[in-house]
This record gives sequence, structure tokens and C-alpha cells, in this order.
Amino acid sequence: MYNDKNAQTIVEYIQNFTRKNSLFMLAYGTGCGAIELPATLTSRYDAERLGVRGAATPRQADLLLITGYLSTKTLKRVIRVYEQMQDPKYVIGFGSCTINGGMYWDSYNTIKLLDKYIPVDVYINGCMPRPESVIAGFKELQSLIAAGKADGAAKYKENLEWYRENQKKVLKNWPLVEYNW
Amino acid sequence: METSLIKEELLAQQLQNAFENIVTEAVRKDTVFAYASKEQVSSILLYAKEKLGYKSLAHMSCIDWLESDEFELVYIIWSPETKLNLFVKTRIDRQNPEMENMDMIWRQLNTYQREIREMFGVEFPGFVGEKEFILEDWEDAPPMRRDFDTLEYVNDTFFEREGREDKQDVRERIAKRSGEEIPDFAKKYSRE
Repeated sequence: MYNDKNAQTIVEYIQNFTRKNSLFMLAYGTGCGAIELPATLTSRYDAERLGVRGAATPRQADLLLITGYLSTKTLKRVIRVYEQMQDPKYVIGFGSCTINGGMYWDSYNTIKLLDKYIPVDVYINGCMPRPESVIAGFKELQSLIAAGKADGAAKYKENLEWYRENQKKVLKNWPLVEYNW
Repeated sequence: METSLIKEELLAQQLQNAFENIVTEAVRKDTVFAYASKEQVSSILLYAKEKLGYKSLAHMSCIDWLESDEFELVYIIWSPETKLNLFVKTRIDRQNPEMENMDMIWRQLNTYQREIREMFGVEFPGFVGEKEFILEDWEDAPPMRRDFDTLEYVNDTFFEREGREDKQDVRERIAKRSGEEIPDFAKKYSRE
């Protein structure tokens, strides 16, 4: 382990350890998945024992949950919210709608693949995922963070042009800035 | 048991007496249809509102009759006294769809007209309302028209997950794999 070049430094290890255990999440309540979150957060499933709790504003949040289908109209706001969030930031896509369109696969006004527009770290499948699967998704994200592999935000910065191109394909006449923090 | 439609027949007769060239029908309990021409609709609605007490506008909707090249507009109004629904129906030309603006009769019609203008492309001359209702930056054909090909639009605009292009019905495969039997009521939906 000590000779492994890919191993994390002790600083990174501590950083990732603290990050994974204090995920402040911004539940952007799109679609039907938002109704699973009260159950996940309250006493029965109690996600706070994993360090996951709500944040009031995008700038205070680490984790963005996209809970279900996204219409193109909502996508504009989601992109703005995502860009307002500060590093480190992670995205979880909920349910089949964010994975491949789900039951809205032939709808003219909902996007089909979320990861073409913003980087997604973890997908939770199901329609809708129950709180158990949501917690499994949180655990998966935590293990990714601990391993230093949850690098969605870095990917977004690197490939901003590619993401912008995809976003502009559906968001015509909407001002999208050419930079990102 | 056949329920009697006395109230309904009465309303149908009242309208029949007041207007020429309209067809009325007491279709079922609490429901009366009135088929009228485009020009007559506003006077029927005003008459029903002022004289017969049909104060409440319940709904306005549009139906696309692609085969006969027409749009059908339906105004549903309701009376708190008789508790009857009156459906005023009219057909307009599909190539040049125009309807009288009636949001001065019921202000709620403003919202319905905006929706129908956006979703079906029916124009209401003289109607002042926000241009956009639900869609933003929509440049294609009105999406609720039946000749708008949703799937084609989706294929042009959005991305598809690789490996899911064929959109297979995997229900039977999963059932075979796990040795389950598909219940009879679900078999008729099978695509295989």
C-alpha cells in the first residue's frame, strides 16, 4: 500500500473521510421521487446517521438530488442550481427517468439522459426507488468519495464545452454562461 | 333502471327554443350537449350565463379530429341551481383555426385559451395574453396536434441510452429467466 502510486495522501484521505460523512443535500424536488425523501430523512430510515441531511440553499449544499423526470424547463433551473453549488459537489440521479427517460421515453418535453447535461456520480434505479435503495445510493456515493472517485465536478469543468453543446441543443434562447467556477 | 332525464330534457328544450340551427341532446344524468356553429357559441354561452344561471365555467378543451380536418372546441359550464353540466361544442376549420375570444365572459377562459393556443395552435383574434403558457422557446408544431410526431421529435432532440435503442419488452425474458408465469390479464399487453 505504501508503494502504490495511486494511493491517496494522508491529507486526501482525511479530506475524503470528512466529506463523505457530512453530505449536505439539496433535494431539488422534481418529479415524484421527492416524496421518498421525507421517509428517508425522518425517524424510520433516518439518513442522518450516515451524515446526510438537508441544506437550505445551493451554496451550502454538497449533494444535488434529481428526484425524477426533468422537463426541459426544469433543466434550466437545475443547471443554474448545479453551477451555484460550491466544490465539492456531487449529483445523484433518481429513478429510471434520469437514467433513460423511464415512462417518459417518448415525451417531447422531458430530457432522457441526465448525464448528458450535468455529470452524475451515482444513479439509483427503480421507479421510484424506495428509501432502502436511496440509502444504498448514499452509501455507494460515500464509498466513491472515500476512494476519491466521485469527480463529477472536475469532469464538468474539464468538459464544459461538451456539456454546453448538449444543453444548448434543448435550451434554445436561454443564456448559458461560458464559464464555470 | 333507466333514470329519468327531466331536468336535462328541459334544458335541451330551452336552448332549442332560444336558438335556431343548434342540436341539443340530453345525453345522461346531469349532462346536456349542445352542438352549435362557431358564430353561435358566444351567444349561447352568454344566454346560458345570464338567463339560465350557468354561472360557472368548468372547463374548456380542444379535440383534434384529424380525419375530418377539424378542431372541436368544448366549453363546459355548470349551474349551481340545477346542478347540470352544459357542454357547448363547436367545430372549426383545422387549416386556419380561429375562434372568438371570450375571456370577457369568464376571465378563467384566458388561461384555457392560452393553453389551447399553445398546445393546438388555435388562434383567438383580439386575445391579449402571455405568449407562452407551459412550453418555453417552442419552435416546432403545436405538440398536442395529432400530426405532431412525438417520437420523431424525441429522436431528433434528445439522447438515448446506448443499448436501449430497440426498447424491448423485457417482461417475458425476465419471466422466463426466473421461471415465473405472466398472469393472464397481462398477456394481452405482450409485444412478443
